[in-house]
Amino acid sequence: MAVKDSAPPSSFIDLPPEAPAVPGVPPIVEFKQVAKTYSPGKPDEYTAIRDVTFRVEDLQNVGEFIAIMGPSGCGKSTVLRLIAGLAPQFPPSSGEVLLSGQPVPGPGPDRGMVFQDYTCFDNRTVLDNVAFGLECRGVSKSERHAASREWIQKVGLHPTKDALKYPHQLSGGMRQRVAIARTLILKPRIILMDEPFGALDSATRQHMQDLLVSLWREVEATVFFVTHDVSEGVFLGDRMYIFSNSPGTILHQFRVMPPDRPAATMLREKSGQSH
Amino acid sequence: MRRWAILRDRPGALESVAISFLCIAVVFLLWWLLTAGPVEKRVIDPITLPSVSETLRSFPKLWFDRALARSAMWSLARVLGGFALAGAVAVPLGVLAGVFLRLQSFLKPLSIFGRNIPVAALIPLTLMWFGLGEVQKVMFIFFASVSFVFFDSVNAVQGVPDSYLDAAYTLGARSSPRHGFRWALVMGLGYGAAFATMFLLLVNRPLATDAALRATWNVHLVFMILLGVVLGTALWFPIVTFQAIRKVIFPLAMPDIVNSLRLLFGLAFGYIMLAEVINAEFGLGAIINISQRQGPREHIYLALLLIALLAFAIDRAILSLQRRMFPYRQVGD
Repeated sequence: MAVKDSAPPSSFIDLPPEAPAVPGVPPIVEFKQVAKTYSPGKPDEYTAIRDVTFRVEDLQNVGEFIAIMGPSGCGKSTVLRLIAGLAPQFPPSSGEVLLSGQPVPGPGPDRGMVFQDYTCFDNRTVLDNVAFGLECRGVSKSERHAASREWIQKVGLHPTKDALKYPHQLSGGMRQRVAIARTLILKPRIILMDEPFGALDSATRQHMQDLLVSLWREVEATVFFVTHDVSEGVFLGDRMYIFSNSPGTILHQFRVMPPDRPAATMLREKSGQSH
Repeated sequence: MRRWAILRDRPGALESVAISFLCIAVVFLLWWLLTAGPVEKRVIDPITLPSVSETLRSFPKLWFDRALARSAMWSLARVLGGFALAGAVAVPLGVLAGVFLRLQSFLKPLSIFGRNIPVAALIPLTLMWFGLGEVQKVMFIFFASVSFVFFDSVNAVQGVPDSYLDAAYTLGARSSPRHGFRWALVMGLGYGAAFATMFLLLVNRPLATDAALRATWNVHLVFMILLGVVLGTALWFPIVTFQAIRKVIFPLAMPDIVNSLRLLFGLAFGYIMLAEVINAEFGLGAIINISQRQGPREHIYLALLLIALLAFAIDRAILSLQRRMFPYRQVGD
């Protein structure tokens, strides 16, 4: 595979299960022996994840990019939705999910999420889609529209031409740009991405990966990125969690060495090799 | 001609209309053939089926002597009144039941009952409850359509994928009771005004000579206003309070709700016959009922044609409005 060639084994460092804590600051996300079982005690009992334990340190003003990988149906999404606090995955059956030392209270805008299926609100223009979170907060119309236009531009859409379009007039890649913009505009501390580029063709996907890297440098959040594409995980991630088959649990944690050259250059090399 | 045998081969817009007119031409041709010639030699006697020209010639009589336009307006007003009432109650209730699933379970028995009782059975029932006047006719349409509007609204809301709700939550949609109450109160006042208007239109004010009747009438009016205010506020408060409902679920379900209202209005308009079966001075249904007993029979066919044409025109009007309101949602015929 292209990835193994381009990333020699020496750039992976097997981590101990728990990285050393920063003194005084609780980890931004911590899973303690988390398990999720659906309809326990019934014939259709199903365990999505079991014994998931990890901690992600709160690196001020940097944030880490964590790629979560594993086979389909291994509970990768469950981990994300537990952090987001979304039912029915939330709350966990056992164990603890902590955010900066506190249990997850439920969903909130401090943990933005980008979904695989297109979840742009069909009844809103791009401008109002991106401004949605600010609107919920009660930000005035002129203020939120100004911020919205700024972010529309940042994700590579046209701030006047595209702003008044409805989602059904956009391609899949453009819709995901809108989804990313409306999440990042809220400056969340944690960004959860559930195979956001899974439904895109490979050319669009590479553009989106590049975009994501450049935007991430700006927002400085901790990112959890679920993917089953190895090259995507290696390209984007600082750290990788490899999940086992169902019921999912973490098999390996790796640290990916920081890139020695700009992302765009790497992307060009990567696409050169895979074709 | 060979293209008639190709599966799913779509005719052009013009061709499609032409084919539809072909059907109308065939029907009229059959009608003409069955009723052609002198009276004694016709395939079908004129009492059963008058000829095309006889029917058309009776139109001026229907228009002038029997006040067709006014009848049509009366019928339309009755259906519109009953249906608007059904929508005002069942749409917000359906939206709530679509998101609060315990409320849905609670209302399910009523909904199943309402959708399965024979509509004609509502005639004696509404006559017992509301008497012989206009109230009965409006309430008949209300009871005939309210459970269907409710059911379709629930389905429209449930058709909005969960992922939109998840997205709304992670973007910070919350509930804001104080902000919500203001808007709910506005809705409640609107409901109060609408209920009062309806009451004033449907129930005549008793003469000043009868003080007791007049006092009762006044109490009823106040009761209707209060009912409207309480009902409107209570139904809309949860919808406007929860940002996830007001900003996401309700607008996303709206195209489907309006679409089903359009289809159900056609159904309710068809019930006009039943509503006007007893003691209706004006109305398309009344014209049919009276023509069947006293003639002329031609007017039955004309009235039927007119009801269908009117229903079709209303349907197209709502459809074009719908397309303008929800440009992001393509609705078929």
